[in-house]
Parts: sequence; structure tokens; C-alpha cells
Amino acid sequence: MIRAVIIDDERLARNELKKLLLEFPDIEVIAEAANANEGIEKIDSLNPDLIFLDIQMPGKTGFDMLAELDKAPDVIFTTAYDDYALKAFEVNALDYLLKPVEPRRLADALHKLHLEESRDRETSTDEEIAVNKSLLHENDQVFVKDGERCWFVKLGDIRLFESVGNYAKIYFGSNKPLILKSLNALEERLDEKVFFRANRKHIVNLRLIERIEPYFNGGLLLELKGGEKIEVSRRQTVKFKEMMSL
Amino acid sequence: MQNTNKYYWWLQLGGWGLLVVVLILINVLFRQPIDTHLHLTLWVLVLSGILTTHIFRMVIQRFGWLLLPVEKALPRLAFGIIVVCVLDTFIRISAINWLDPSGINKKLEFSTRFLLVTVENGLCIIPWTLIYYFFHYIETSRKQQLDTLKLGALVKELELKTIKSHINPHFIFNALNSIRALIDENPMRARTAITELSNILRSSMQTEKQETVFLEKELDIVKDYLALEHIRFEDRLNVQYEIAENTLTQPIPPMMLQTLVENAIKHGISKQVSGGTVTIVSTMKDRYHQLVIRNTGRLNKSANDDGFGLISTRNRLQLLFGEQANFNIREINGNMVEAELHIPLT
Repeated sequence: MIRAVIIDDERLARNELKKLLLEFPDIEVIAEAANANEGIEKIDSLNPDLIFLDIQMPGKTGFDMLAELDKAPDVIFTTAYDDYALKAFEVNALDYLLKPVEPRRLADALHKLHLEESRDRETSTDEEIAVNKSLLHENDQVFVKDGERCWFVKLGDIRLFESVGNYAKIYFGSNKPLILKSLNALEERLDEKVFFRANRKHIVNLRLIERIEPYFNGGLLLELKGGEKIEVSRRQTVKFKEMMSL
Repeated sequence: MQNTNKYYWWLQLGGWGLLVVVLILINVLFRQPIDTHLHLTLWVLVLSGILTTHIFRMVIQRFGWLLLPVEKALPRLAFGIIVVCVLDTFIRISAINWLDPSGINKKLEFSTRFLLVTVENGLCIIPWTLIYYFFHYIETSRKQQLDTLKLGALVKELELKTIKSHINPHFIFNALNSIRALIDENPMRARTAITELSNILRSSMQTEKQETVFLEKELDIVKDYLALEHIRFEDRLNVQYEIAENTLTQPIPPMMLQTLVENAIKHGISKQVSGGTVTIVSTMKDRYHQLVIRNTGRLNKSANDDGFGLISTRNRLQLLFGEQANFNIREINGNMVEAELHIPLT
């Protein structure tokens, strides 16, 4: 069963989509929201698997809403017109439906989702699922918006978080956009088995380290897969060695 | 630029090279000896020719003679040719005097020799200038033709944009989506909604045919439009009409009020979480008919897209009703936007 939330500012549009979804017994619409703030509330409290998201909404757009979430559920965008905004997407498995929604297109979008779902399940074990929900998992995706460009990024693909004032710069592929989150807040939510606080300014992904070298004062220098060189402070080096020797 | 430079050097070297070949052939034909004397003469001719014409080209480019109209360019070029020929003569005579004093025909007076060499130079430099000038002349006119075509396409595109912008696709598809939902929920309302939508589509297609319409007729469309938006926004949209009876037969440009009301929804109401009010006021003043569209929202000055719409609205009004006509938009009290039309009474 897939638990879904519909976010759209028009009551009739939400009703119409609900009616269409009656044809799909494995989708359960557990809540509706009429704007971005309500949407964030519902997502945080209900933790749905999927959201249907309108892009043009009063106050905040659907994109703005996604960027505020700690982790993004699967998203199917709905829009009345072939929006230029949808073209802002660079690389990712995103789907969108044009209103009025064609039932066949809806079926295709949901089918695609099922395929991804089953693929994800193969990779994750029961034990991993049982991990505390507030902790972000490697397979969780975050939505990143940097100016006009948007990405869905799997946390496991991010090799480095760098503190820049109140922001964090995240490194994945050849991109390094900024997100409005402090490094300390991120550290609390990230899985410490994978993401390691190397020093005051950096959190590195342990699975994406290329090389480890000794450094001054008994510290370490980590070279990441993207070529970035990160110094591990002396205090953290002790912790790092402890973790690695296990 | 790079390309024209390449062409220039090919033509420059090729032309002079051809001249050398022809002169040698003539010498062979008339059984003249091919000796150092001839070689020297030819080399001096070619090198000095290339040097002086290259300087000539720099002068032409520096003073932009190619950009002048033909009747202005030709006298300048003619003058240039004379100067270049004389310069070329000086160079050649002094070069030969210095390199090959034995080869000079002693029987000739200096002035005669000077004249002969200058005429000889003229035979090379006049064709050079003609070729140079016409090559550029053809190139420029071809580029101009291309620019005209591009401009034409741009104008067409802009015209198309204005026609298209009369009805916003977002609105059409949202309306259709709402109507589909209404078919089960409220079939009667769905039926009227379809009539309203077809009225709007029809009038947006007819606008190009008339210059002005009665306010009454335009208001019918606006009412249909707002009724459809009300289905979508429900209680988030309030509409108020304050229409003076005696303004109903006033002429206004078709679709202008409609476009302004659409903007009031698109940039005003649809951005407010709790919605707002659209007020349409039409009153008769002393010398003009005043139309006001007021909506909840803020004025977004940075949207350059709208700048175009505002200017074209004002232009359209003034084209139809003269300089007295006016259009303004402003923000009041920080939460209202007011658009105002003044149409002079005739």
C-alpha cells in the first residue's frame, strides 16, 4: 500500500485527482493540503510515501515547499500547463502530470513508481527500516533548489557537506549548490556510520573517500572521490581511527 | 572578421601573383630576356604594390569609407587611388635607383619616368580598389538582407505573442480541470461553466476584427471569466462591480479590461493564501471615462514581462484615443494594486 498526500490549492482539482486514484487500489490518499505550509505539516506528521504536488500555489510554490523538507518523499508534480519551471530539472527521476489528468498518464506515472519501489526494497534490509525514523538514511532523497536549478539527490551520493555561514554547500557529481541548513543541524540528522564530522567546517561521506594520508600534528588528510581534500582535526582523528578499526 | 581577413590575404597575394605570371608570359611571348633586371623590376612592383594597397586598406577601414553611401565613398576612394599611386611611384623609383642603377633608361627625363610609373601603378591599383570595394559592397548588402529577414520574423513573433497572450493557457486548462470535477458534483454548474468558457474563447478569437467595443459587451466576457475563476478559487475570490449606467455604451479596446482582470487574478489573488477581492469601477468624469481595476496583492516591479504589457496597453490606448488617453498602475496601502484607465470623451 502506498500512502499518498495531495497538495493543491483548488478543492475541485484535489477531488478530481482523488476520484481518478480510486481506480488504483494500492494508493491510499491519507490527507490533503491546500497550500505549502499545510503540506509541510501533513508530510512531517504523516510521513507519506508519495505526494501529488501542484507547482503554482499561493504563498510558496511546490518547489519552495520541497526545498524546506528534510527529506523528500516520492513526488509526482501536477500542473495545468507545461511549465517552464519543470525544465529546471537537471538529472532525476521526476514525473509530472498535466491537468486535466489523463488516466493513462496517471497509470504510467504510478507504474514507474512501483518499479523504483521494488528496486529500493531489494537494497534495504528490515533492520535498516527499523532504524529511528528521525534519522536520515543513505537512500533518502533530498530536494535541492539553487536559483533556477533543482535536483533530487540521494543522501548517499553526497560526498561532502561544507559549512558556509548559515548555509551548507553540498557536493555531488559536478554540482555544489547551497542549502539553507546549518552543519550542526545536519549532523544531528545524518547517520554517523556514514557521515563523519571531519572538522568544524566539514562532514564527509565515509563511503566516498578515495585516499587517507597522515597529516600534521597527528591529524589526517582525506581525499574524496571528487578530488576535494579535507583535513581531519586531531580530536576527530582519534574518533575516526576508532571507527575504522572496528 | 577572421574569415574576411583570410579572404583578403588570398585575394591580395593571388592577385599580385597573377600579375607576375602574366608579365613573365608577356616577356616570354615577345622574346625579351628573363634576367636579373626583370626579376628586380617585378619584385619591386609586387612588394611595393602589396605594401601600399595594404596601407590603403588600413586607411579605408580606419575612416569607415565602406560604410558611407556610394556617392560619398567614390570621391574619397578616387582621391585615395591618386595618393596611393604617387606613393607607390616614389617607393618604386627609389628602390630601383638604389638596387639597380645600371638598368635605368638614361634617355628618359625624370618627370617622364615618374609619369610612366604612376600610370603603370594606376593600372594595378584601380582594379585593386574596384575589386576590394565591390567585394565588400556585395557582402554588406547580403548581410543587410539577412538582417531584414530576421527583423521581419521578430515582428511576426511579437504579433503572435500579443494575440496569444489574450488568453492564458493556464486559465483554460485549470478551468477545464475544474469543470471535469464539477460534472459529478454539480452538473448544472458544469453546464453553465462550459457556456462561459466558450463565450470567452469565442470573443478572444474575434478581437482582431474590431477596434473598439462597448463596455457592456466587454463586461459580459469579464463576468464569464470571473465566474469561471470563482469555481476554481471558491471563497478565496470576491468580486465587486461598481458600474455607472451611463458608461455602458462607452467604447473601449476589446480584451483590454479582460487582460487587466486576468492579471489581477494571476498576480494578485492567486498568490494570496487567503484570497482577496477584485473590484471593477467604471465612472464618468468631466472629460473622460474612468475605469479602475483594484485587487488584493502587491505590485511586482521587477517582472519585466509585465513591463512590456503595461507599455503596450498605454500605446494601444493612445493610438486609438489620442494623447489624452492614459493608463497607470500603482500600489495602495501596501496590500492593494490599482490599475486605472482614462479614456477621453469624444
